[in-house]
Formats: sequence, C-alpha cells, structure tokens
Amino acid sequence: MARITARRLIKRYGAFQAVHGIDFDVADGEFVAILGPSGCGKSSTMRMIAGLESISDGQILFDGIPVNAVRARDRNVAMSFENYALYAPITVYENIAFPLRSAGKDAASIDRAVRSVAEKMELTALLGLKPGALSSGQAQRVGLARALVRKPAVFLMDEPISHLDTRQRYRMRRFIKSIHQEFGHTMIYVTHDQEEALALADRVMVMSDGMIQQMATPQEVYSRPSNAFVAGFVGEPPINFLDYADADDSGLTIEGNRVALTEPLKARVRLIGPRGLAAIRPHFLRLGAESPVRLQGRGFITEELQDHNEIFVDVGSVRVAIVTPPGLRVARGEAVTISVDPEHLLLFPADVKVKEHADEL
Amino acid sequence: MYSLVDVHKRYGLRTVALRKLNLDIRPGEFFVLYGPAGAGKSTILNLLAGLTRPTSGDVRRDGASITHLPPERRNAAMAFENYALYSHLTVAENLAFPLRAAGVRPAEIEVRVKSVAGVLGIPHVLDRRPGFLSGGQRQRVALGRAIIRPADIYLLDEPIGHLDAKLRHRMRAELKALAVDMKATIVFTTTSSKEALALGDRIGILNAGRLEQAGTAAELYDRPANTFVASFVGDPPMSFLNVSVRPAEGGPALVTGDGQSIGKAPSGALGRGGLKAGVRSTALTLVDPGTPGALAGQVEVVEHLGHSSIAVVLSGTDHIQVLLPADARLRPGERVGLRVDPTRLHIFADETALATDAA
Repeated sequence: MARITARRLIKRYGAFQAVHGIDFDVADGEFVAILGPSGCGKSSTMRMIAGLESISDGQILFDGIPVNAVRARDRNVAMSFENYALYAPITVYENIAFPLRSAGKDAASIDRAVRSVAEKMELTALLGLKPGALSSGQAQRVGLARALVRKPAVFLMDEPISHLDTRQRYRMRRFIKSIHQEFGHTMIYVTHDQEEALALADRVMVMSDGMIQQMATPQEVYSRPSNAFVAGFVGEPPINFLDYADADDSGLTIEGNRVALTEPLKARVRLIGPRGLAAIRPHFLRLGAESPVRLQGRGFITEELQDHNEIFVDVGSVRVAIVTPPGLRVARGEAVTISVDPEHLLLFPADVKVKEHADEL
Repeated sequence: MYSLVDVHKRYGLRTVALRKLNLDIRPGEFFVLYGPAGAGKSTILNLLAGLTRPTSGDVRRDGASITHLPPERRNAAMAFENYALYSHLTVAENLAFPLRAAGVRPAEIEVRVKSVAGVLGIPHVLDRRPGFLSGGQRQRVALGRAIIRPADIYLLDEPIGHLDAKLRHRMRAELKALAVDMKATIVFTTTSSKEALALGDRIGILNAGRLEQAGTAAELYDRPANTFVASFVGDPPMSFLNVSVRPAEGGPALVTGDGQSIGKAPSGALGRGGLKAGVRSTALTLVDPGTPGALAGQVEVVEHLGHSSIAVVLSGTDHIQVLLPADARLRPGERVGLRVDPTRLHIFADETALATDAA
C-alpha cells in the first residue's frame, strides 16, 4: 500500500498535450475515482501511475519516492481492465493463487489468502471450476480476486463495470467497495460514469481537457461544484443550466423571470458580474408557487419512473427538468409555475464551453 | 397490430436467440424491448423488419402472415445500433436518402431535413460527412434517417445508447414527445431500466430469448411476474430475502434464513420453503437496532449518490439495499434495524433470480 503523489504531471503525445501539469495526492489506503468524459486525460493519468505510459514532464511519487524511472512490473501495481485474461486450463483456485505462487509464497499462506478473497467476492463455490464454465460476471470477479490477492501498493481499475447491466453493476460496486474496506488498498478507479464515481470513492477527481477541475468528497462535488463543468457532469438527472442577466443586489433575470437573491448569492453576483450561468438540480425544483423564487414555463413531457416522476418544462428557450414525487403530471403546453430552492441555486461565470459541450458529443 | 406467434429463432445449430415467443405490438404504441445483452431484442426488430426469418413460427400483421414478405414491402423504418450511415454522403444527404428514394420533392425534402435536424440538435453538422462526427452525433443522424419518413412501424435499436448522460436524458424527452406527435407504432430496445420506464407505453422484458412479462411500466413495477422482472425493473434494483413459511402466533409467518419474522405469510402457504421476498429500497425504513418487528442487520457499504445515499445491509445472508437521505451518517459495520412495509413485499416462488445471480 502506498501514498501516490503527482507533481506538475504532464503527458504529451507528439504535439498534443493530453495532461497539463496536474498536482494531486492520494493518501495511503484512499479510494480515489478519476471522473471525466472521453479525452479528458483520465486514462493517460492512470497509465502514467501504472508505468504503462512514459511521463513527459513532472513526477509521480510512491510514498515520496519518484517512480518515473521505475518499470511497470517493479512498481507493485495491480491493474484491472474490462477484459480479464484467465488461464483456461487451470481452476479458479489456481488462477487466484497464480501470482502468489510466482512470488514464491508457501502453500499454507497461499491457501489462506485465496480462500479469504474468494469468500469476500462470493467465489467460494466456484473455486474448483475452470474459467470456461464461468459466466462473464463470474470471470470478472475471478480476475479481480487474482489482482487483489497479491496485495499491491496500489490497485488501478479502468472502467471495470461499465458494460454490465444495472443489477450487476450494483453487485460489483458492493464487491469493490467491501473489498476496499476489508483490505485497505490504495485504489484509483477511472470512469466516465458519475454515479459509479460517487458511489465508490472517498474522493472524486473530476477532470476535463487534461486538467483537474475539482478533487473532493462525493458530497462536495455534488453540493459545491467548483465550476459549471463539474456541476454539469455530476448528478443524475443532469443539472439545469439557465443564462441570467441584469444581475445586481436587487436580483437577476432568467428567461424573463425576475428572481430575488439570498445574501450568499448577492456576493456571488458581485464577483461574477451582471451576466452568467445559473444552475439548479432537478431535485431542488418544485411545481407550484411555494418559494419566492419562481420561474414561469410551459409543460413539455412527464416521465413516470414509478418511484418518482421527471417533468420537463420549457422556461423561455430552455428545457428544464424537475424531479417530483410519483403522481404529479403536467400536460403539454400547460402554464406552470416552478419554485426554486434558493439555497441550492448555483451561479457561475458564463461558460460558453459548457453550453456547447452537449452539442459536440 | 404486429404479432410474433410461437416464434423460435436459432442462429446456426446451437445459438438459440428466441424461444417460443408470443408478442403483440399494438397500433400507435411505443413498445420498449428491455433486457440484458443477448436477450433477443435485436432479433425481434430484425424479424419485424424482415431482415431475418423465424426458424419456426409466424410474424403477422393484422392477423395475416408477413413472415415471407421481403423488407422493402413492409414499410418499416429502422435505426441500427451501429449507425450504418453512408460515409460518402453528408449528414443532410444521409437524412434525405429515404425521402429521395420515395420520390419526395426537393423543396419538401429540405424542409423535412431541417426540421428533423432541429429536433435532434444537429442542425450545425448537416454539411459534414459521418467520419467527421462524434459517436453521439452519428447516432442522432441514424435516428433521424429512421424517423424522417412516414412508415408503418419504426424499429429503433438502442438509438440513444451511445450518447453521454446529459444528452441521453434530453433526447429521451424529445423522443417521447416526438412519438406522441407522430402517433407512430414504435419498437425501441434498451438495456436501461430508466429509459424503459420513461418511454414505454408498454414494456416487454426479455431474458435469454424468452418474454418474461409484457405490460405497462406500473404493472411491471407493482406486479412483477417473477424475480427476473422484479430485479430488472427499477433503479436501484429490488432486493430479495430468502424466506420460508412457518407457523406462528396469529397465523403463518414469513421467516428469513436466520429465523427472523418479516410479516404474515399469504394464506395457504404454510410449510413452503424456498420463497423469495422482494422489497424495493424505498419500502424500507431504517430504525434503531433491536426495534421490535424490525429486521436486524449490519451495514456493509454506504454509497453517496448526491441527492441520496444507498446503504447495503447484510441481514443473515441476504444483501438489502436501503434508500437514505443524502446526509445519512451510517458507517460500515454499524448494526441497524430495518422496518419492512408489509404492503410492499413481493413474494416469489420462482427460481429465475437464482439463474441471473450467477451471471
């Protein structure tokens, strides 16, 4: 187990710079998820930690010792990918034991280690089978168990469960998290899926365009996103963005609606200026006029997801999503008043990139 | 109405894609085929389009067999998961293609192309070729090419599955509104529970080539026919307790593997073992450990999902998911009690969940 540090870490591929001099620390035994869209530099960062990519500039340190010149196989790093190459002719037990046998461990401690990890991964009943008899989900668990059993300094995972269906994903999340609790490896988990990152990690490192946008606990990146990119990338359903203008201490205007401001928001407005981007999560909007902060709109579509509804309302030119309890419906074109919880209204400098991001995907 | 009647479909000698499948698609409905990869969803679309024929059984339209009717005579529009765009044509030309083939006037074509591009959010890429588009843009062009012309049935194979979360959420609403406007018959495949519930007038749940259940979102959510359906509809998925029926004061009770009673058994079920009691994460309340009538357990993991948290509680040998407020302060290893809403227990005697547990 190790503490991982990156200092002004840069990755260049020819003239293209993929990672722009980032700094971060991962504590010994910490679980960090690197979250971002494709091309944000998350996989390059992980591959530099693993030693699979050269470091163009800057440093990576394990427990304070630079590893730039240390080869991948000498870094004591375990990696798992979506695809696991299990050895077909030998049993699950022998597959898991393999790295320990190669390391010359004695039979009794190998047996203890294999059985302990197999129990945690719910593989005990499968130990005598050969890989050909396993389902893909089981094979993946065996692959994870084999990577875990050798107690690496750091465990790196690259999108290990993104291809699974909802139910299998929940199960694998439970396995991965309880393994981390049990064995306490330093873990770095790369994903484009915000729910996985929030669910698993102690801290989430949100990346875009080769830079760290925010590195904080799941609660913090959700509740106090450092910029509009983080606000837009974290949260399900996605946050609503609305342009605002004419902002001063008396309030601001969103799509023709004049909205009063709380003291903290007035302070934000003084910082950002008269125009900017307002963001509010679908969970913090309500139908009705209960709040002094309101928006007027017209109904578009009601989705009934059984445990809740998602209602889309057109506010001026912006389609806004609202999460409501089941049973509430809005008809197409119906005039609707939306109450905004001012505690949860976020204001950001106008960011053209965030707005265009969706169109360019 | 389109019907699959006793359809069996084999690829080669060993791969069975569909097993004795019976399914009706009603006129004007948005029908979602939902299930894991390899369940047979795309095979059903191909059978309806006429791109493949059943090994046995019949494909019918309004009662008459169309099993041997070639695709070009079915007036079906299809969007393929792998896009299948013409790489030498621009986006505008790709969208216009079905209209030109149908002999629509150029002025009319231009209007329709612009309108569809607007709905799908791709008006700024009309002059580009597919090679210069992102995956999400290509997928929207493929969807646009399917919906641009009037067809008797629209067959959409995971048409928004490759979009990023934000765009997928927005397109889901657009697609639903479009379907309402078009009053078209649509068959749509997905691997997402949320998408199935949000879009489908009715949903068919497929598992290994079998139709497990077909019905409205509310029917599938409230009255799942078996544990496969129960565990596939809803996010987070339903949790299951292994229970049996034992005599108790006040009538037979449902008892867990480690002897905890979770409520009254359905009448006439005395002596039955091997049952599963399904419970949704929203039907559970966290109470102090030792609270009478509550299930005892220990917190395994806690997931913070932004607006809420999910705790997985181990009770006996069953893992149970509980939905909690975002600020819930629970620690792994903590002992807790779970109160189960008895009106929201689903009792199953089938084994389908066991089969999928192995996956």
